[in-house]
Amino acid sequence: MIDVRNLHKSFGSHAVLKGVNEHIEKGEKVVIIGPSGSGKSTFLRCLNLLEEPTSGDIVFEGQNITSKQTDINLVRRKMGMVFQQFNLFPHLTVKENIKLAPVKLKVMTDAEADKRAMELLERVGLPDKADSYPIQLSGGQQQRIAIARALAMNPDVMLFDEPTSALDPEMVGEVLEIMKELADDGMTMVVVTHEMGFAREVGTRVLFMDGGNIVEQNEPKAFFENPQNPRLKEFLSKVL
Amino acid sequence: MESWLQAAPGWVASLPDGLQTLLFQLYQTFVYQDRWTWYANGLKITFLVTLGALILGVIIGMLIAVIRTAHDSQRAGKHNPILGVLNAVSRVYLTVIRGTPMMVQLLISCFVIMVPKDETGRLICGIVTLGINSGAYVAEIARSGLMSISAGQMEAGRSLGLNYRQTMWYIIIPQAIKNILPALGNEMITLLKDTSLVSVIALRDVTKQAQNIVANTYTPYVPYISLAVIYLVIVIILTKLLGILERRLRASDRR
Repeated sequence: MIDVRNLHKSFGSHAVLKGVNEHIEKGEKVVIIGPSGSGKSTFLRCLNLLEEPTSGDIVFEGQNITSKQTDINLVRRKMGMVFQQFNLFPHLTVKENIKLAPVKLKVMTDAEADKRAMELLERVGLPDKADSYPIQLSGGQQQRIAIARALAMNPDVMLFDEPTSALDPEMVGEVLEIMKELADDGMTMVVVTHEMGFAREVGTRVLFMDGGNIVEQNEPKAFFENPQNPRLKEFLSKVL
Repeated sequence: MESWLQAAPGWVASLPDGLQTLLFQLYQTFVYQDRWTWYANGLKITFLVTLGALILGVIIGMLIAVIRTAHDSQRAGKHNPILGVLNAVSRVYLTVIRGTPMMVQLLISCFVIMVPKDETGRLICGIVTLGINSGAYVAEIARSGLMSISAGQMEAGRSLGLNYRQTMWYIIIPQAIKNILPALGNEMITLLKDTSLVSVIALRDVTKQAQNIVANTYTPYVPYISLAVIYLVIVIILTKLLGILERRLRASDRR
């Protein structure tokens, strides 16, 4: 579904990604872990071109999205993204946050989007917050709304950029629970996180990034129980 | 004054001289020949010029602010040439307009560039000139407003498939407007007072009308003090209205 070939990304003279190759299949739940500065967030943000790669190709559903001819806005409709800082629109109510993209992009009528928004709010367990403003909600609730908003466009893949890192510890669980349900429903997911429990339980494959490359990857059980790379061993010994 | 005293009610004659004079001048300023209608007609022009210039100024200001912000937020090494030209034009505009007095701009615009023939022409000339002037100040206010919105808002909008323009329009600008409203209200009040300058292009705004009354009565005291009071009252009302509007817009900030 997503094919990444020789992806390079530099900020000025600072090389963050140094030739990443990766293939993600439909239905996979890929969890990316690694120390800060290893390029994992940059890699994720390159997948929907929020960061423009310096070189390399990203092919999504058979379309090379790094090519100039590709309308990236159409591609992004199929890739939902959830941010560390939620990034809900503070001037809109929860329901308006969810409806904005489908209605303005004319994918749904207002009535359809309304119905879809309520379904999604039901799914993330916050139907009673439809008319609240984001600031009135807790961090965990905001992130659940952000997930609902990303789902409103019926994406084929969901990208999560450290979705629980900005949350109070007691709210991490509720967000991970929603993500787990999403995974169980068969959504293709790419998740950058520090939640090792989630990686082990929900991931179908875990990638370890260090120094701008994927240095080791495996299915979760073997990944955590039998790491090969010394850098990964050191990392796991610190976080587990 | 003699004939006025005879026509006035009897109690006026029993007042001290100073008060009699004041009453007479008030009579001359507002009542005689229905001169209050001069003020009223002048206010119509003042409001028309303020409103027109404000709308034009906000349009120009927002446009310039978006151009400048879009230009400044480009990635290093990826410069859009059209945006570069627009940005350069914007900067020249800001420098010239903010670097010359409004009075001089009015004189040049209406006696050198446009040279209107009739009252309507002068009105349009006044609105356009003040609008262009105000736009330069609104641009800097609006730019600070756009920059006050976190980059995450743009990313969230773009990640949903909205393009740059849609994200600006539906997400960034509504939030920016809320943030800049106090400064924008200030600009509107400044603009209202600056419209008094249009008397130099013979527009009969409220200031020009007060001058006309003085030209008839030869007593500047009451007409000009009244003029100041009129401006003051309008500004106080506008300030109150802005406060109400601000509180409305802040509804989404309430916990």
